[in-house]
Amino acid sequence: MKIIVDRQRCDGNGVCMGIAPEVFDVDDDLYLHVAENIPEDPELRARVRQSITSCPILALKLVED
Amino acid sequence: MTHRIVVAGGSLAGHSAVAELMALVPDADVVWVTGERHRAYSKPALSKEFMQARNEIADLMLPGIEGDLGRLRIVSESCASLDPSGQSVVLGNGERIGFDQLLVATGARARMPDILQGVGGVFPLRTLDDAVAIRESLAGKPKVVVIGGGLIGCELAASMRTLGLEVTLVEQLQSLLERPFGGAFGTYFLDLHRDNGVELIMGGMVERLAVDNGWVAGVKLADGTTIDAQLVVVGAGSEPCTHWLEGSGVAVDNGVVCDTYLATSRPAIFAAGDVARWMNPVYGIQMRVEHWTNASAQGRAAARNMAAALTGRQELRKAFGDVPYFWSDQYGQKIQMVGWHQGHDHVELDRSGEAPGPLARFYRDGRLVAAAGINAPRIVMKLRRQIEEEARALQAA
Ligand SMILES: Cc1cc2nc3c(=O)[nH]c(=O)nc-3n(C[C@H](O)[C@H](O)[C@H](O)COP(=O)(O)OP(=O)(O)OC[C@H]3O[C@@H](n4cnc5c(N)ncnc54)[C@H](O)[C@@H]3O)c2cc1C
Ligand code: SF4
Repeated sequence: MKIIVDRQRCDGNGVCMGIAPEVFDVDDDLYLHVAENIPEDPELRARVRQSITSCPILALKLVED
Repeated sequence: MTHRIVVAGGSLAGHSAVAELMALVPDADVVWVTGERHRAYSKPALSKEFMQARNEIADLMLPGIEGDLGRLRIVSESCASLDPSGQSVVLGNGERIGFDQLLVATGARARMPDILQGVGGVFPLRTLDDAVAIRESLAGKPKVVVIGGGLIGCELAASMRTLGLEVTLVEQLQSLLERPFGGAFGTYFLDLHRDNGVELIMGGMVERLAVDNGWVAGVKLADGTTIDAQLVVVGAGSEPCTHWLEGSGVAVDNGVVCDTYLATSRPAIFAAGDVARWMNPVYGIQMRVEHWTNASAQGRAAARNMAAALTGRQELRKAFGDVPYFWSDQYGQKIQMVGWHQGHDHVELDRSGEAPGPLARFYRDGRLVAAAGINAPRIVMKLRRQIEEEARALQAA
């Protein structure tokens, strides 16, 4: 599982971080950091998918392994 | 045996629930009654990126639902009523659809005071069609009056100023964003909008519209002044879409009343999103949260509890406890709020310099219940976790 961020669009509102803080982290310059390796935990992965759907600017894309 | 699940509401709460139900209940037929002629789309972008023409309709569409789409029927009608037996819904076109389970995710609609209705050039903002209509009327560089200094009004004022339009904002109270931020930031929002060129009329009571040939020409205030306007946008709050549940026996009280599992007063009927007023175990009170993140999380949580009941997989069943979260974007400032500040007895402005922007903490009986920050996402999220952990410790005690 890999996540691609559209940097042109992401504005750092942190919705993804609100849903899956283990994976998404917006810093104080409003730059989004995404965890390199996402654990196999199905519950976490479901929340990561939910973050992607919930990004209000549709700035996240998922590439499944 | 196949189960039939009806999901009413075609926005984020409905979308999250449908996606989760398709994944968790493989033998169910899902009927998604959306009330929409559009696919599910991002509402927060309507007042921000979309209004500023930084993105277009195609950029707003949420991802499609995955899975065996043969089991999913999407209906663009609305539910007109719920049968008192609690086993079927009737659509606007008269079709009756029976169900084993129903999710109410019909959200909220814009409140439009009577005096503002029926005049050209006057718009609420709740739906994509509203946003398109407002955008279309921007072409002639109209003079804009924004009625209401809540989130929608302030975001619209900011977007219109960003586009270089002349903007006057009328608010009854003496402060902006009073309800969402509990007055924590004093004059910060007044200064922000004034510095960006919005003419603010605070304590202004709109009496009626001045109309010319069916089109708005101005806004008349109770003190006798008239503000010229070619476009009026209205942010006068919203109300939950529960009218179709009247007489159904589902308990409604400013939203659909739910327990901690998002179950309503009728068996097999659940609710999620802006329409739901549920018992939040984090705070031990009933609340109705009108935020994007909540609609997403609640839609999913309700779907899991529904799946638990249908499949007997008890490990899916979970109380929904949440520290609400929302953000707003005005002139590039990221304004964030976590928690529930209503009923707080003490606010503390952080002057430690730890946060890069203004930061406020809200307390009730000495307990941290909410926090708000501007351009300080990390610390705000840290406080969200702190609120959650303190609540858990309190429950365990
Ligand atoms: C302009 C705007 C900006 C916003 N900005 C932010 C923001 O920055 N941050 C934030 O956190 N939140 C924001 N919000 C709030 C957020 O969009 C809502 O909390 C969220 O949309 C709620 O989702 P929902 O699915 O519960 O309901 P809604 O989005 O209200 O959708 C309700 C759905 O139900 C359907 N429906 C209604 N009646 C019926 C019926 N009888 N039968 C069938 N279907 C029906 C409607 O067609 C619609 O599809 C904003 C809202 C707006 C309007
Ligand atoms: S939700 Fe979307 S826009 Fe917001 S920080 Fe995450 S990726 Fe960026």
